[in-house]
Amino acid sequence: MADVSLLSAPWRNAPLDQPIGWRCAAPLSQAAVSWSVLHGRIGAWQALLDSLAPQGQRWLLHLREPLEFAAALLACWERGDSVVLPADDRPETLTGVDRLTRGRLGDVAEGHRAGPDGGIPRWGTLDADALALSLYTSGSSGDPQRLDKCFAQLDAELSMHARLWPLEGRLVISQVSHQHIYGLLFAILRPLCERAPMATSLCRYPETLSDWLARLATMHHSASAGVSSDTLDAPPGAVLITAPPPLERLPRELDWQAAPQMLSHIHSSGAPLSQAASDGALEALGVPVSEIYGSSETGGIAWRIQQQNSCWTPLPGVEIRDDAQGTLWLRSPFLDSADWQRQADRISLETSGFRLLGRVDHILKVGGKRLSLTSMDRTLGTYPGVLGARTIALPERNTRLGAIVQLEPALIPQDHTTRRALTEALRQHLLETFESTVIPRYWRFVDAWPSNSQGKLAGAVVTQLFRDLQNRRVPRWLGVEFEGDERCRVTLEVPERLIYLQGHFDAKPVVPGVVIVQWAIELAREHLGLKGEFQGLERVKFPRLLCPGDRVELLLFLAPDPPRGERNVKLAFTLKGRQATHASGKALFSSSGDR
Amino acid sequence: MADALELELKHLIIDTLELEDVTPEDIDREEPLFVEGLGLDSIDALELGLALQKTYGIKLEADSEESRRHFANLKSLAALVEERRVD
Repeated sequence: MADVSLLSAPWRNAPLDQPIGWRCAAPLSQAAVSWSVLHGRIGAWQALLDSLAPQGQRWLLHLREPLEFAAALLACWERGDSVVLPADDRPETLTGVDRLTRGRLGDVAEGHRAGPDGGIPRWGTLDADALALSLYTSGSSGDPQRLDKCFAQLDAELSMHARLWPLEGRLVISQVSHQHIYGLLFAILRPLCERAPMATSLCRYPETLSDWLARLATMHHSASAGVSSDTLDAPPGAVLITAPPPLERLPRELDWQAAPQMLSHIHSSGAPLSQAASDGALEALGVPVSEIYGSSETGGIAWRIQQQNSCWTPLPGVEIRDDAQGTLWLRSPFLDSADWQRQADRISLETSGFRLLGRVDHILKVGGKRLSLTSMDRTLGTYPGVLGARTIALPERNTRLGAIVQLEPALIPQDHTTRRALTEALRQHLLETFESTVIPRYWRFVDAWPSNSQGKLAGAVVTQLFRDLQNRRVPRWLGVEFEGDERCRVTLEVPERLIYLQGHFDAKPVVPGVVIVQWAIELAREHLGLKGEFQGLERVKFPRLLCPGDRVELLLFLAPDPPRGERNVKLAFTLKGRQATHASGKALFSSSGDR
Repeated sequence: MADALELELKHLIIDTLELEDVTPEDIDREEPLFVEGLGLDSIDALELGLALQKTYGIKLEADSEESRRHFANLKSLAALVEERRVD
């Protein structure tokens, strides 16, 4: 096998007529992009850099096109420069990187781009201990951490990948950003070192993947049937570099016939893949998913194929252990230290590897992006009128967040229009710091912080606040205040997706009166311990319509009802909006059935 | 008929993406669905593609940009469904 070490710079003496890029949507005769073209691009980038500054610089580099990104990166390295890869191209992110760098390169505002004319590249030296690049912890967190990687670190990891999952000339198709460590290693540096072609654009959608694989399979058929006389053969197969979001949303109905034949490996990283998504991908694509667990700081730590072993197996050379708290400790050739390092993940060790039990801190992954909930809470807290905020990962909705926000009374939305305006304003406020995929989708606005007797926001309260998401028959519960044992005031909102509003498409949707009565009874059972069998209603009135998005207070008062018998009770309820009363009445209960 | 389909699509969007405070009236047929307007994101684009496939049997183009052009607003989405539904 050829030397694939990053330190030996395999791109310098690559066979110039062989492909390093592959235009997946083009016909066979136009699909290959040869190494000589890449060398020309490296030369073009070096000419640009020479015109900007003497060597030894750091540059901000952001470029979506994989091959052009590779050319710019190698141009910098071979010139003796290093790069900083911003996590995304939002203005705030780029501004944060600017102070570290000489200038911006690539497809961003004020980014320099190399001209069309190629040139002969100059090769320099890659020193094992020299800084190759800096990147940021994945996704968006309020305090992004910069991480420096030297050539030796990158090389150790790339060599291990090449031994474990050799590319052998297969086409690398990526669905992930190479501004992050996983995409950078798997989709850019591995093809460059192992001399395997990379798709010239990112494969964002499943339809694109299905199409590319089908085209590749067709090229093989026509080649084996002797139809094609082209000098360049199609790659012998493909490797897919992907992540949980695309794999969890893989349409089965697409034509995946070519997938088992063409794909040799599927890699997923960024967050653990659910068992269902792993099985689904195997079923649709015919190839098991090899997941990699790691982080920007540590590089790869472990891997698994869930159908073979649901536990994680440490990657070759990586040592792991746990401590009394179950925290993961790591000793790895991909770290810059030879000592054991404590990690933020909790694990349980098993005979066949280890399981991940979650983070020690308030960091979590949302749609594969790492997010500091603490920093999001802090940012929400800076919005005028916000008195407190807590962002929550909702168990049933692992890609979307909920937020509990305490507001000054005047700011509390009272109806659909004002609530939408407020959530939009908060979204815009968060978008200045966070990427759109991590912004909370479920908002709960409260006037008092919903804490338990220890002053903590208990799990049970969180469940209450978001229970209307699981059950489309109940109102949105936003808190309860007691006045003695028999009297309480429950704050509610009418969910827009309430099931009882359906079937009213043409008319203005309203909550039927019978549903309001049902809510009053259920909430009295929950909060006031109402027991007994329903006997009837008295003096029920619905003076004002209750509409989706309306915020109301439900006053419940439970009293004995001696005229109807010793142990009978009467529930008085009043449903009030800020403007007017929506409903009032009394419900009668007998205590015969002790429920 | 176009109105009925657009209303149906509004419900599909709200239900598929579990948008809790959006009503059909909030979705303007000409306003962008993504980023501004409704504020949908890249994960929503994947979900929506999946739902169109399940509900109407619609296969989207392999060309990412081309296929997602139909997702620009409700009007273009309805046109896509009208043209390609197989049920």
